[in-house]
Amino acid sequence: MSELTGFHSSAVMHRLKIISGHLPPGGSSNFRRDLRRSDCGSATAASSRSSPEDVVVVHGRRTAIGKAKRGGFKDTTPDELLSAVMSAVLKDVGLSPERLGDVCVGNVLQPGAGALMARVAHFLSGFPESVPVYTVNRQCSSGLQALFNVAGAIRSRAIDLGLACGVESMSLRGIGNPGDLSSRLMDNDKARDCIIPMGITSENVAERFGVSRETQDAFALRSQQNAARAQRAGLFDHEIVPVTTKFVDDEGKERQVTVSRDEGVRPGTTLEGLAKLRPAFKPDGSTTAGNSSQVSDGAAAVLIGRRSAVEALGLPVLGVLRASAVVGVPPDVMGIGPAYAIPAALQQAGRKCLYADVSSSDFRLRFMKDLGIPPEKVNPNGGAIALGHPLGCTGARQVVTLLNELKRRGRRAYGVVSMCIGTGMGAAAVFEYPGA
Amino acid sequence: MVSLYVTMMTVKVFRSPARHGYAVEVSPYIPSRVACAASQYYGIAGCGTLLVLDQTETGLTLVRSWEWSDGLFDVAWSEANEHILVAGGGDGSLQLWDTANHSAPLRVAKEHTQEVYTVDWSQTRGESLIVSGSWDQTVKVWDPALSPSLTTLRGHEGVIYSTIWSPHIPGCFASASGDGTLRIWDVKGAACRLAIPAHKAEILSCDWCKYDQNVVATGSVDCTVCVWDLRNIRQPVNQLLGHTYAIRRLKFSPFDKTVLASCSYDFTVSYCQREWMVSSWQKQRVRTLRENLR
Repeated sequence: MSELTGFHSSAVMHRLKIISGHLPPGGSSNFRRDLRRSDCGSATAASSRSSPEDVVVVHGRRTAIGKAKRGGFKDTTPDELLSAVMSAVLKDVGLSPERLGDVCVGNVLQPGAGALMARVAHFLSGFPESVPVYTVNRQCSSGLQALFNVAGAIRSRAIDLGLACGVESMSLRGIGNPGDLSSRLMDNDKARDCIIPMGITSENVAERFGVSRETQDAFALRSQQNAARAQRAGLFDHEIVPVTTKFVDDEGKERQVTVSRDEGVRPGTTLEGLAKLRPAFKPDGSTTAGNSSQVSDGAAAVLIGRRSAVEALGLPVLGVLRASAVVGVPPDVMGIGPAYAIPAALQQAGRKCLYADVSSSDFRLRFMKDLGIPPEKVNPNGGAIALGHPLGCTGARQVVTLLNELKRRGRRAYGVVSMCIGTGMGAAAVFEYPGA
Repeated sequence: MVSLYVTMMTVKVFRSPARHGYAVEVSPYIPSRVACAASQYYGIAGCGTLLVLDQTETGLTLVRSWEWSDGLFDVAWSEANEHILVAGGGDGSLQLWDTANHSAPLRVAKEHTQEVYTVDWSQTRGESLIVSGSWDQTVKVWDPALSPSLTTLRGHEGVIYSTIWSPHIPGCFASASGDGTLRIWDVKGAACRLAIPAHKAEILSCDWCKYDQNVVATGSVDCTVCVWDLRNIRQPVNQLLGHTYAIRRLKFSPFDKTVLASCSYDFTVSYCQREWMVSSWQKQRVRTLRENLR
């Protein structure tokens, strides 16, 4: 009945401020809460969509990626690689490992996806026994899946902070033993397609979607040139953790080497040189050693947490996880995975694509065109063809490279991490770099 | 809306459209009578209303109501005259109202420079004093003439949410503040006698035990109620957990020396009962009453 009398809005705002101070900001405390105060979302565009509940990336590091069987890490066990990056990440930000709620490690080739190996690495890094660790295997996306898992635990408030890692030694373990599979596998088309070698799936995609040898070689050249340029400019120096490790030479003599540069990069790559290579998987095929991703060794670790917990600890925010998607695709053309995963993730994030770090090779160019992603935004610092693809590591490695590049560019921007997954899947994640 | 919980079994409800209640006090003279300070728009903006209600067999009836140009945040009945009440408003004013007089307040005192969030009328015999606490971080003590204040007490470093006279010690009151301290004041000496850093968060309410002059409880934004013995303030006698949001107000029962009630932003009112066998308060809520969200 009474009208709102003339009222000073500053007094109103003051009352609102006092009373809203009685409600907790979104964040962990003794009691689980359904209701919490959060910043008004209708603020300026620059600060919009920032919530204390965001899953944010604090920091990430990676080892250099070594060439499997011949490179600097060929005699290095994966726990050493993993331990190096886990320690480096926490040391860089000055965070005690006790603060970690969980550690998830992506790995493909180790027995049991490296569950024991991960716990060993954990202790090699001097982490306390009170911090748990586990591993996850979603083939090539394992490193990214580890990040999704930790993010999920953060979102469900099981933990506040976690480490998402990935590691692979393809020198010490091959894709070898497929495990115990039913004999019915051979009678089931889709199941049988799962054991098709990756190179053949690549040929399938090239054939079915009309991606020529020339296109693939051009993409490979771009990857190599971008990677070489980035390496020369020292763009990776910040993110790479040098690892000193044992190396056994051809005579069987053991010495110490320090690996601090990605070994897969071939700066002298030319189109002519690529054209000369023979198809590696099919006699008249288009996939060669030059335009495929490499077999590699490496590890990466990313520290992520709920924004409120991260800010309470005074830690920086390097990026914000805005969307994640995993999709299934036909196993025999598993390479198309990103073509489905990227749109799914972008839709979730409500964004158009600005930058993409896309793993694993060749004909992605075709799909980038279909998705409307400008080629210069794909792997500007090189991709798996040049840098290599240590299976379990790659997903986490891509996040580190992506966010460091966005940070280098300075502006607030979004980036996408994506890869195809053997046995027929694709995964993608959208990250936001908040701006300098 | 005012709800009267009677014998835990029946609830009598008075609905005040467009007014949100901030304080309820039962008359010391007429047990069936309550006063309610209410505000428009949850007290954030707009006007206020002071309601006087009588409890009947069937419900609550309106005896008198007065409008005020700002929200009203607290009300206290006079201990000397059954018709008189004092209310504190968002405009920093205290008003004295008379149920025998229909429209205008008897007196208005505007000295506080920010919202008056708490008023209390002293109960000890021989004195008739009013204490008011404000978001301007000061406490003022008044006689019923209300002009001017007898003394202004400074010391709190945050907004003041609650000032309550000791029922035992003349001239002594407790205050709870956004600065996290519980302070005990002596009016005659115009000084703060004790400053207890009772909580790490804001303290929205405090009350004295009616049966033990050394015992005070505080209710805080940290969702806990702490019971203090003023003879040993290094730690609380007990800490009562269970509310999931800030404690809005608490009261020691005047009828049962073992009972303490608290209401919270979590939409519950809870009763705590002290066990006979132990000298400290049991860390339990005996009963919780849930108020339905309208």
